Amino acid sequence: MALQIADLSKRYSTGTEALRGVSLEIEAGEFFGLLGPNGAGKSTLIHCTTGLARPTAGTIRVFGHDAVEDGSEARLAVGLAPQDVNLDWFLTAAETLDYHAGYFGMPRRERRERTKELLDVFSLTAKKDESTRTLSGGMKRRLILARALMHRPRLLILDEPTAGVDVELRLELWQYVQRINAEGTTILLTTHYLEEAEQLCDRIAFINGGQIVAEGTSHDLAAEFGVASLEDAYLELVGRNELSRARIVDVAQ
Amino acid sequence: MSATQIRFFSLLRRELNRFFKIKRQTLGAPLLETFLYISVFGAALGSRIDKLHGIDYVVFIVPGLILMAWAINAFSNNSSSILQQNFQRAIDDQLSSPASALELLLAFSFGGFLRGMIVAILTFSAASVLVDIPVEHALVLLPALFLVGFFFAQLGVLIGVRAEQFDDVSFAQTFVLQPLIFLGGVFYSATLLPEPFETITQFNPVYYMIGLVRYGFLGYSEADVGLSLAFLSLATFALFAVNYRLFATGYKLRA
Repeated sequence: MALQIADLSKRYSTGTEALRGVSLEIEAGEFFGLLGPNGAGKSTLIHCTTGLARPTAGTIRVFGHDAVEDGSEARLAVGLAPQDVNLDWFLTAAETLDYHAGYFGMPRRERRERTKELLDVFSLTAKKDESTRTLSGGMKRRLILARALMHRPRLLILDEPTAGVDVELRLELWQYVQRINAEGTTILLTTHYLEEAEQLCDRIAFINGGQIVAEGTSHDLAAEFGVASLEDAYLELVGRNELSRARIVDVAQ
Repeated sequence: MSATQIRFFSLLRRELNRFFKIKRQTLGAPLLETFLYISVFGAALGSRIDKLHGIDYVVFIVPGLILMAWAINAFSNNSSSILQQNFQRAIDDQLSSPASALELLLAFSFGGFLRGMIVAILTFSAASVLVDIPVEHALVLLPALFLVGFFFAQLGVLIGVRAEQFDDVSFAQTFVLQPLIFLGGVFYSATLLPEPFETITQFNPVYYMIGLVRYGFLGYSEADVGLSLAFLSLATFALFAVNYRLFATGYKLRA
């Protein structure tokens, strides 16, 4: 099992209850989608898994390692591409990758080879000596993805990786993550692009109000909500079924 | 090298890389500042001041200037580095790595410690060009300087973690640290002060630090050397323990 979350709750010091008894299991090698509206608890769940937030209750196990009690081992297995650009302004693109791999204990020669490889994969070689501050938005996003992959994580967490990126990068990323998934990397993806989740993910969970409200394949979810597509199921979830394309077409006819 | 060592040195390299990339600000400016202090207080005013406790005035102030250079640079490096990374959330890359609380704390601590040490060595070298600086008690001087550097590195970490805006760091440096250092007797001997200021000075912890460093260089101290070293060790350890607790619990670092 790649990720086992049981009864996870998170209450922030502000009093906000971001997660309320979330339980979730992701098999090793699975491509799993987590969908939900803004503020549903997706990022909090990811932060608890990666050690950036401390759970209030419940357990998280990453490949059998408790994310709190055995945090170092759990984090070693995880690569995170966060939603917000959080690059270090003092580093160049190549340094960003090299330091990240160093934080994960990767030896120098391996770091150098992996940096070269990922700069190439993400078309960043020409920008390797540029400060992260001067990179374009798309380049920053590429670098964040490359950084998440540097230490060859067994579980890759992509938190809205394609938000605001151009079509080529989105397609390149899809191809790349499908390839590493086929090679055995487990992937947890959060996205607002439902077609992305539908095409990539083996299973999808809907999260809303800090709780998992439905889980299954896109067909299972559509059936559970009694609608024809994942998009309609999602609209049912957020209570906006008046926006359904099928309904708009009916009204137009 | 073990994975732990690679992690620690990568974290430390990041800290060193940061201040070397802005070396005009982090190394050049403090060095110029110290040079100006020596010029103004030592050469210009010092020529009109008689010896202090049998020591030339310009020589008397150099140990305090070296301490000041190490202390302020260790503090400001760590406080601003942590705040800046926390502000941009670039620190998440380190926090979501397998690095332990101890590895993170030591790497941040030694970043400022080493910057302070470099500026202190440059200050000592520059001062040595102008005047002869003796080293009377190296066995007191070295631990004293190392403890002072580590104490202020810890203080920088503490303020950096707790700060929510750049103003918090600036406030601590301008309104707390600098007055304590200046009023701790960098430029004068507390015995020259009228009462109650002489007594008040003895409540300033930096007064004892300056006493230790001055004793190491010049063989002169106004406070008990053994007791000062013991208290400085205790205070440094206590501050380190507080910071370790902050990193272990993730206070203001992990949500």
